[in-house]
Amino acid sequence: MFSSINSRAIVPVACAVTGFVIACCVLLYTFVKGDLITGEIHHAADLADTVIKSTRYAMLHDDRETLSQIINNIGDQNQVEHVRIFNKKGLIMFSRDDTEVNSFIDKTAAGCSGCHAESKPKRKLGTMDQARQFTNKDGHDVLAITAPIYNEPECSNAACHFHDAGQSLLGTLDIGVSQAPLKKTLSQLKGRMIMFSGMVLVLTVGAVCALLYRQVFLPIKQLVDFTEKAPGDSLDCDFPEVSGEVAKLANAFKQMTARVNELEERQDKSREAPSKEPLP
Amino acid sequence: MSQTGPHPDGQPMPGREDLRQRTEVRIRRLERATLAGLWSMILFLLVSFGAYENFTFLPELSDKFRRMLGAPPPSEMISLALVIYAFSAIVGTLARMSRNIKPFRGLMHTAFFTAFYAFYYLSGVLPDNFWAVFFAGLSVMGLENYYLWAHSKEALQKERELLERMQSPKDG
Repeated sequence: MFSSINSRAIVPVACAVTGFVIACCVLLYTFVKGDLITGEIHHAADLADTVIKSTRYAMLHDDRETLSQIINNIGDQNQVEHVRIFNKKGLIMFSRDDTEVNSFIDKTAAGCSGCHAESKPKRKLGTMDQARQFTNKDGHDVLAITAPIYNEPECSNAACHFHDAGQSLLGTLDIGVSQAPLKKTLSQLKGRMIMFSGMVLVLTVGAVCALLYRQVFLPIKQLVDFTEKAPGDSLDCDFPEVSGEVAKLANAFKQMTARVNELEERQDKSREAPSKEPLP
Repeated sequence: MSQTGPHPDGQPMPGREDLRQRTEVRIRRLERATLAGLWSMILFLLVSFGAYENFTFLPELSDKFRRMLGAPPPSEMISLALVIYAFSAIVGTLARMSRNIKPFRGLMHTAFFTAFYAFYYLSGVLPDNFWAVFFAGLSVMGLENYYLWAHSKEALQKERELLERMQSPKDG
């Protein structure tokens, strides 16, 4: 079956096109997914920066109630999974979840290891290094940003504050946003790409196979059936319904068969002819 | 194995016997070649099973070994290399098919796709890119093995016909 002319034409095309199109679609999806996640990280980092700037005035005036209210309002947003501020020692000072206030953060957690992996903590962290993805205890996929709150001249000069001018880092903001919208977008993208690649495969492989079958393989099969008829059979009645080059080939075969039959008849007659001569 | 037809004087023809043996050697070589293609495909599938599991059965690479290897290339570069390799391999095989040039019989493609799995694994992005490598490999190796099988089958048929003609007794 696999060595017939049909298979030798269709199998290589189907194999090459199908595998390559699927591989390219998978890679394209991976590229787009990476780009979307990078965009999401930058968006979350901008959100963290906005939160830090929004709370700056309250921090400068040591207005802890206002600061707590800001954190609660931000935490109430639809896509925000958690938001908290902890100080340099890792003590959670403000959080949307009241139960974790005044508890210490785990320094070995993924969000902390970016700076604290080595014996001396890093002073600066890139945007992509600030991000981490995990599933929280509620089973939600979360993208969290750990943004440091740096010491500024106004902080150490303020009347109410006790931050030392030599202290570079005052605390850290940890904000987590839900990845549900991103997952939904990726799922839709995956579905559309599967549909698109399916259509491309049906069109290329299917159309090529259908056209080849109709224009080439079927006429060749009819020609083969025609040529396989027994020599004695009349070839006139069952001439295949073909056209073009295949019809020329069928006609040539018919003429050749007629010529062979004529020659065989002449040969038979010439053998019989001596027996018909009258006896002396 | 049956003897060839005897010489009119009763002695076997040495040239014919030598030709028969060489034909049999070619037949065995063609049969081995078809099997070699099958083994390379089986090896690729085995490596793919391991890659599907993200090679969790292998021991974790030590930091010292990772430092020795150096930083892995960006995953985008690996993906670009995969696309270029798959495309050129497919075009190369199709070109050989169209010109009826002898097909490749070795494990080169298996080795290359194993290397791609390894690069993605070391970059930490194998789960995202597994199916791309798998389908590219299946396409390239499927095409190569189909051509190897079809080419060997045709060559085997000719050799066996030749052997049959040599072994059949001469008409009187």
